[in-house]
Amino acid sequence: MLKRKRFIFAMLAILPTLAIFAYVRLYPIADTLRLSLYQWNILSKNKPFIGLANFRELMGDHLFLDALINTTIIAFGVLALTIPMALVIAALIFHRTRSRMAGFYETAVFIPHVVSLVPAAMAWKWIFDARLGPLNALLDFFGIPMQSWLFDPVLSVICIIVLCSWQALGYAVLIYLVGFKNLPVSLYEAAKLDGASGRQSFWHLSIPMLKPITLYVSVVTLVSGFNVYAQAFVLASDAQGAPGRQVRVLVLDMLENSFRNYRVGYAASEAVVLLVIVLALTLIQFSMLREKGKA
Amino acid sequence: MDTMRTIEPTADELAEGRRLRRKKQATNLAIDVFLLIVSIMMLLPLVFLVANAFKTPAEMLSWPPTIIPRDPTIANFSAVLGETPLLRWIGNSIAFAVLSTIAIVATSAIAGYVFGKFRFRTMNILFALFLATAIVPFEVYMIPLYFQAKSLGILNSLWGLLLGYLVMSFGIFLVRQNVIHSIPDELLEAARIDGAGEFWIFFRIVLPLLRGALGALAVLAFFQAWTAFAWPMIVATTRSSYTIEVGLALFQTGFTVDLGRLSAASATVLIPSILLFVLLRRNFVQGVASTGLKE
Amino acid sequence: MKNASVKTRISTRALLLSTAFVGTLLSGVASASAETLTVWSGYPEMAPFYEHVAQGMKASHPDLDVKVEAIALREHEKRVALGLTGGGQDGVTVIELSGSTATRYLENDLLPKAADDVSAFVKDEKNFSKFFIDSASYNGAVYGVPLFRGQGSLYYNTDMFAAAGLTTPPKTMDEYSAYAEKLTKRDASGKATVSGWSLRLSGGGQGIAEKFWTNLHQFGGAILAPAGDGKWKPDFANEAGRKALKQYLANIFTTKTVSPEMPADADAFERGQTAMFIRESWVIGDIAKKAPDLKYATAPLPKGSIALPTNLYVAGDDAAIGWEFAKAANSPENLIWLLQNVGWLPNRSGVDYSSVTAKQPAFAAFVDYPQGYEFFTLPAIGPIEEVLTRVAAQLVTAFGDASMAADDAKIDAFLKKASDEVVAILDREGLAAK
Repeated sequence: MLKRKRFIFAMLAILPTLAIFAYVRLYPIADTLRLSLYQWNILSKNKPFIGLANFRELMGDHLFLDALINTTIIAFGVLALTIPMALVIAALIFHRTRSRMAGFYETAVFIPHVVSLVPAAMAWKWIFDARLGPLNALLDFFGIPMQSWLFDPVLSVICIIVLCSWQALGYAVLIYLVGFKNLPVSLYEAAKLDGASGRQSFWHLSIPMLKPITLYVSVVTLVSGFNVYAQAFVLASDAQGAPGRQVRVLVLDMLENSFRNYRVGYAASEAVVLLVIVLALTLIQFSMLREKGKA
Repeated sequence: MDTMRTIEPTADELAEGRRLRRKKQATNLAIDVFLLIVSIMMLLPLVFLVANAFKTPAEMLSWPPTIIPRDPTIANFSAVLGETPLLRWIGNSIAFAVLSTIAIVATSAIAGYVFGKFRFRTMNILFALFLATAIVPFEVYMIPLYFQAKSLGILNSLWGLLLGYLVMSFGIFLVRQNVIHSIPDELLEAARIDGAGEFWIFFRIVLPLLRGALGALAVLAFFQAWTAFAWPMIVATTRSSYTIEVGLALFQTGFTVDLGRLSAASATVLIPSILLFVLLRRNFVQGVASTGLKE
Repeated sequence: MKNASVKTRISTRALLLSTAFVGTLLSGVASASAETLTVWSGYPEMAPFYEHVAQGMKASHPDLDVKVEAIALREHEKRVALGLTGGGQDGVTVIELSGSTATRYLENDLLPKAADDVSAFVKDEKNFSKFFIDSASYNGAVYGVPLFRGQGSLYYNTDMFAAAGLTTPPKTMDEYSAYAEKLTKRDASGKATVSGWSLRLSGGGQGIAEKFWTNLHQFGGAILAPAGDGKWKPDFANEAGRKALKQYLANIFTTKTVSPEMPADADAFERGQTAMFIRESWVIGDIAKKAPDLKYATAPLPKGSIALPTNLYVAGDDAAIGWEFAKAANSPENLIWLLQNVGWLPNRSGVDYSSVTAKQPAFAAFVDYPQGYEFFTLPAIGPIEEVLTRVAAQLVTAFGDASMAADDAKIDAFLKKASDEVVAILDREGLAAK
């Protein structure tokens, strides 16, 4: 009897949240999958089912492939830049935990993660500016030829990687810091007694023990890397004339197809591709974790 | 470190100790210098942005670029405030972020509690459902969600913005973890034996105990909405309904753009959010840190 | 832990405070007046014009509240698409659209026909030439009221011309290149600091393709050409296309008179960062506002220009007031105000614009063009923007490929590829010529 009453309470309490959740998350996810199979154009009355035709078209759409390649490069670029840096910085901040400056370091590294994206991107837009920016001024000062950062096909992708890494670093450092704080102190003391240097215990103790954290941060960084949009938008958005090279990324291509070419079904099929990538990354993370658990 | 020693140290050992201590000090100094440089590098773009906001148009175009404004002016700020409804955009952003925070905290608190303490099979299945969709990026399903907002007739309104930010899977997860770890079953049972109703227990016993976790979640949710970009970008298309992120991004797509003004607008947005962050840093760090503890 | 709870209290207070703030904000939202008319425009600089028109209607409609929402063109087009398919737009809305963009809405019955008196006004050849009537009509019925058009001319900085010993504007495309070389200013290392001829080389969207089309037109090519029977075909994988693209590449890589990262367009022209460029008439108004001391002149293009007519359409119930607004916008007094203060060219004939054009000689190139000047316009087909966006994306790649500059075969292969992509889109939409 009591159990039933409790069950009723649980159902009643969860119901509003569940309803909202179903409406704003489950339904649209299902709808994305459905739309991807239709030729669903905003303006036309006819919205026929076309099976996998959207996906077939995607495979030959060079703008989409461009976007896919760019996005992948950006995501892995951010990963390669962020994770090692975060690990080292977190280790050093942890080493200096007791110093008065630790709080400052933590805040400074973390602030880029919380400031609004658009103003931050504006700041970088100026830094990278080919004619007015301090980056080229610095290069010039050292006699290195100046670069047109935002216009070169390769450099403009690097600019986005730098911007995204700048923003992602703080989060990774923070998570690593938590990881360091949870490491058993006794192990380090034992290592020290065995004559291991700080650097040695970092390599041989911290890194292996932080592997689950590294995996987690990597996947989070990669997934958010695959969703990059605002950075590309702001760095290249039309100030009239010569704003910068448009680095096509997945979300941008998706929104363009949906709201500019009005091909919502086609855009949905891009979203499905994005979903598959993210799912794959997450699955890889889980399986790697499990493997580690067995070993 | 060497408190365990009982034998008097020899002169040699003392010298060795001094040398080690000096070496350690030197290492710490080197680490501090390194971290200080990193911190400054992380903050530099934002410093540039604020500095640019005070530059005259002529100085903005001068080469080499200056870091500190030679001839500080607040003309950019007055121009921006006169030309754009910047304050209205900030107001929209605050309203959106606050309402989203309230919704997320409310739904997470209830659902987290139910999932944590009512381990019925139905509940476990529902929880798995929430978790499974947590990895689906918002970008994947935002287009169908947009059409839902449209059919509700809430585009270009606060409610439309809110629709995408009502629930947060991670919030539910966070509260559930806290409920499991910090609220003993005995406490709830004792209250039930005293004849307390389930709702009374939730509001009077559970919620107060969750204050810390909910505080952290609130800050996370606030910043998540405050920095949202893609969703507001598609939902808000009238000048008066922009959030500050969208307003700023589109401000620069006007015909001729003045970088000084753009920086002024950005700085106006940046400074309050940085202040807010510094004020709530601990909550925030606690919240973010707990995102890494999924395992 | 103790510390954490203090912080929690702070955050609770912050929450409460901001909740109060939201409350005040929300209470301010719900207020609508009796007769409202919304004007959606894709040109921010047009806002004062529509407000001027509204001001003029005050006499006959004292309660009329006109809200002008003028935003960047791309955003504007997005909101029109979404608004007309049932969201975001309520009440009577006057919508400014180019004839080519409006077609897709007309095809799908999303915009109403014009009221009878308006239709008669538009169809009167004393008011509008056939070109404009056609652009505002669909299947013979009038749906919009013509207002202004985008038409390009050359703008050149006369001080820079004089300094380079040039007295007349370039008349052939070859001269454009030769002039550009003479006009480019360089630093000690030979790098261009002031571009001789500003070309649109980067940025998102279709602008790059539209500008390229204008150059292409001078050589006799077109991104899309009519193929009869409502079908279309690309017309640039040919000699005209090669010449146009080669000229771009020569300017970027061979003579190096311009580069993607150099400031471009009206902005650069106003600041003396480029010597000449091709743009629509609104730049005259922009220069008057932002660089009144600039010494410049305009000239017609060698062969002809784009003419992109923009019309006013009306959506919503009880649209009478909207049509009245669209007609009022076309009153001679308002059109002269438009030309004088904004600089877009009004389409209505039979109005004496000489009071403005006489004072501002720069308008002459737009109004008094030579005999046989050939206009082209964007085709009124659904996927026009997709076509232009994709061609633009292709062009950006080409503009970055130095190896193409001297390799005709490579240029031809590139044009073929871009052209095939256009055909594929047309094919998908059933618009390709057989």
